[in-house]
Amino acid sequence: MSSFETVGDRKIVTFSLANQTFGIDMSSLIEIREWETPTPLPTVPGYIKGVTNLRGNVVPVIGLAERLGWEPSKIHARSCVLVVSIGDKQAGFLVDEVSDIVTIGSQEVQPAPDVQIGDERVIQGLVRITGRTGEGKTEKSEEESGQMVLLLDLDALSLTRHLDLAA
Amino acid sequence: MSDELDEIQAIFFEECTEGLTTAEEGLSAMQAGDTSADVIAGVFRAVHSIKGGAGAFGHTDLTAFAHRFENVLDEVRAGKIVPTPGVTAVMLRAFDLLSDHVSAAMGQASRPDDAAMLVELDQVLENKGVAGEAVAPAPAAAPAPAPAPAPVAMEAPAAADADPFGFEPVAISLDDLDGAAAPDADEFGFTPVHVDIADLDAPAEAGGGPGDWIVTFGPSRAALANAGEPLLVVRELEELGGKVTAVDTDALPALRDLDPENAYFVWTLRLPGTVEESSINDCFDFVAPDSLVRVEREESAPVAEAAPAPETAAPALTLVDMPAAEGALPSPREMAREGDLDAMLGMVQAIAETNTVAPADKPKTPDRTEAVSQTIRVDLTKLDMLLNLVGELVIRNSILSDRLSAADQQKVELPELARLTRQIQDNVMSLRAQPIRQAFSRVPRMLRDLGTETGKQVVLETYGETTEVDKTVIEKIGDPLTHMIRNAVDHGLETPEERLAAGKPAEGTIKLSAEQKGARIYLRVEDDGRGINRERVRAKAVERGIIAEDANLTPEEIDQLICAPGFSTAEVISNISGRGVGMDVVRSNVEALGGRLEIASRPGKGTSFTMILPLTLAILDGMMVRIGGQRFVLPLGNVIETIQPEQGQVKHTTPETEVVDVRGQYIPIKRACDLFGLSNNGRRVEDSLVVIVESEALGQVGLMVDTIDDRREVVIKSLDQNLFPIRGLGGATILGDGSIALILDIEALATASPAHRNPVKGMAA
Repeated sequence: MSSFETVGDRKIVTFSLANQTFGIDMSSLIEIREWETPTPLPTVPGYIKGVTNLRGNVVPVIGLAERLGWEPSKIHARSCVLVVSIGDKQAGFLVDEVSDIVTIGSQEVQPAPDVQIGDERVIQGLVRITGRTGEGKTEKSEEESGQMVLLLDLDALSLTRHLDLAA
Repeated sequence: MSDELDEIQAIFFEECTEGLTTAEEGLSAMQAGDTSADVIAGVFRAVHSIKGGAGAFGHTDLTAFAHRFENVLDEVRAGKIVPTPGVTAVMLRAFDLLSDHVSAAMGQASRPDDAAMLVELDQVLENKGVAGEAVAPAPAAAPAPAPAPAPVAMEAPAAADADPFGFEPVAISLDDLDGAAAPDADEFGFTPVHVDIADLDAPAEAGGGPGDWIVTFGPSRAALANAGEPLLVVRELEELGGKVTAVDTDALPALRDLDPENAYFVWTLRLPGTVEESSINDCFDFVAPDSLVRVEREESAPVAEAAPAPETAAPALTLVDMPAAEGALPSPREMAREGDLDAMLGMVQAIAETNTVAPADKPKTPDRTEAVSQTIRVDLTKLDMLLNLVGELVIRNSILSDRLSAADQQKVELPELARLTRQIQDNVMSLRAQPIRQAFSRVPRMLRDLGTETGKQVVLETYGETTEVDKTVIEKIGDPLTHMIRNAVDHGLETPEERLAAGKPAEGTIKLSAEQKGARIYLRVEDDGRGINRERVRAKAVERGIIAEDANLTPEEIDQLICAPGFSTAEVISNISGRGVGMDVVRSNVEALGGRLEIASRPGKGTSFTMILPLTLAILDGMMVRIGGQRFVLPLGNVIETIQPEQGQVKHTTPETEVVDVRGQYIPIKRACDLFGLSNNGRRVEDSLVVIVESEALGQVGLMVDTIDDRREVVIKSLDQNLFPIRGLGGATILGDGSIALILDIEALATASPAHRNPVKGMAA
């Protein structure tokens, strides 16, 4: 992605999903909404939870956990939907909890290891963040000094039809 | 400043495109045998205005080519060249090159090589037709330009140059003062003698040479207002060998009444008969259309008489066609003079007077604007915004309706508001609607090119060109349409030899049709070629890893495979189609528009590709139904009736198919729950409703739903704006409470099989 060429700092939004911490570029985020059951769509892949009304726009809501191959998220009080723009489209991602907004240096992003199978392209890179991000995650005691954030490549997550054709 | 120029130039290019469309339509009509004067004049005008604009913007190549093309068209228009099929073919090729020139001027292509075409055009001009074709009238060969006029031309400017300040009316009025007593024999009286000599010379060379041209020119007030300097026109005519023989100053008022911005003079010039008529007409290219321009040939003995007499004789009157007006309208000046003549002839004096007076106060222009419908250019994004706002208005309307009590809903205000909103919506939609002809217009040329490249003979048939479609749809179907047609010619049609061997006519037919059905536009490209070779398609799909080797596909499913990404069956990759990006791209483009692509093929008979497109954002009259507890909108236009089945009324024909007995008629039914993979919560058939709908593919089909809520108008929001089209759904809508209901696509549902049985879900989507 072009982000590797970017010099300087990037703001990312971090959130937890299936006990992992993920991050997306702040610039792609439109808004964070509370979870509201969307209108389900027939005959679509299971990770598409349905569509919801975002100020007159019909926006799909994606179960990001399933999309990334994890167990489906359980809906709870802190469940929320990150509405992002991908190219000229909008999509809502269901995540377990939004954690923080952090600033990272572009040079801190390490390329994603090549070992993943399947959707390896959706992970743009890995970055280690320190400080208060880990506060809520007491169980992550082994990572006192820092935490690994998986930076997502939103373009690769876009819901163009080739994704469901590939199924 | 340059921005402004760019803007104006952009308008010019837009007009070019429109002009090219008009020209091509006209030429196609000529090819089809309609060589009426209107058609030819239309083509001429289109090319002429492209030339004019190109000249103004300094596109010299385009201007030069358009000029040569126009020369031929002018001769055709004048009836000097008969538009035989051969001539039309040359003109069509010239048109293609003209389009290329326009593209080059737009910077979209490099300058085309027009040398060969120019030679061809010149040959047509010279031979008055295409060599080898029988042309009935053989007009006398264009006589060589007589040398005699030259001295005249030398002399004439000298006279005009006597007024070095270029303010022509003053110069002439001085002349007028000099020769006021006898305008008939003004000081230029000697000049016709020269012309006479020219005439005497001419017959010797050309044998019975043509009579002199008598050109009458009376600029209008508008011409002066547009900085149309009459002196320049007169000088231009003088350069052609013309000589002013008379100036009609009858309209000139007393000095105190003189309006310095008005035009009062009518010049009469005599030009040698050897001058090409088109050259004379060229002089009036940029004269305002309501000016008086008359070019007539004097066939009788060329007498060096003063102007008025030959005018009344008016032999072979030719009106110069002005681009903006249907033939030059008589200007006030002309009417005024005719009025005088009437008076002289003892005709009704009163009429003559009103004629003389009225036009002076009332310019002719307002009359013209009534005839020509006025248009303004509006930025499309503004229309988009308007359309969105109206969409929101409709939604608010329905929210309001939901909030009101049932009793209030019935009151007159709400239906009235809804009706008004609907009218606004319809109007905004119609602002954006354009006949689909625009998308079809480039097809004939494409087929000519393709025919040349492939050696296949193609006949085009088009239907429903007037179907109106939203402008964005027209813009976006261009590429898919191009590809479908290329595909049809390249893959669909056989070579002439193959066709003859198969007992078909050598010429292949491509049928292009458009029609509106409900809220959808059906755009079909049909060929009568060999049909899809399913064996080969299947083998290729297996080879490409698109399907498994043992996949069990119906013929229709195999046909669909040609739209799979990266699929191309062309054994030899031609430069027309077969780059492997073909139908895949077509399908994704169509789906990006919220439509879908259907393929039907009969081996040996042909293939048809149908793009089924929505009319974009529109209001839909819908029936709210519940399927598996979820709300859906069923387009009311498709609904015939609703029945509540009694026990035993629904019967199985196979374990998975059912019919319903409607007054003795068995209609197949589909359980909407099954189609969408929804649970019907154990609802019994007797508790469900069957909505009988009319489908294009299968006729009447029953759709089993839970219940019907109500009927309402909904605004269609496309699903593909943020997602992708889903088979079975025509879109979504936002209800009054802000929630979303999905809109059913009856056609897709009628032909769908239950979700759990769908073997290639992704492909069918």
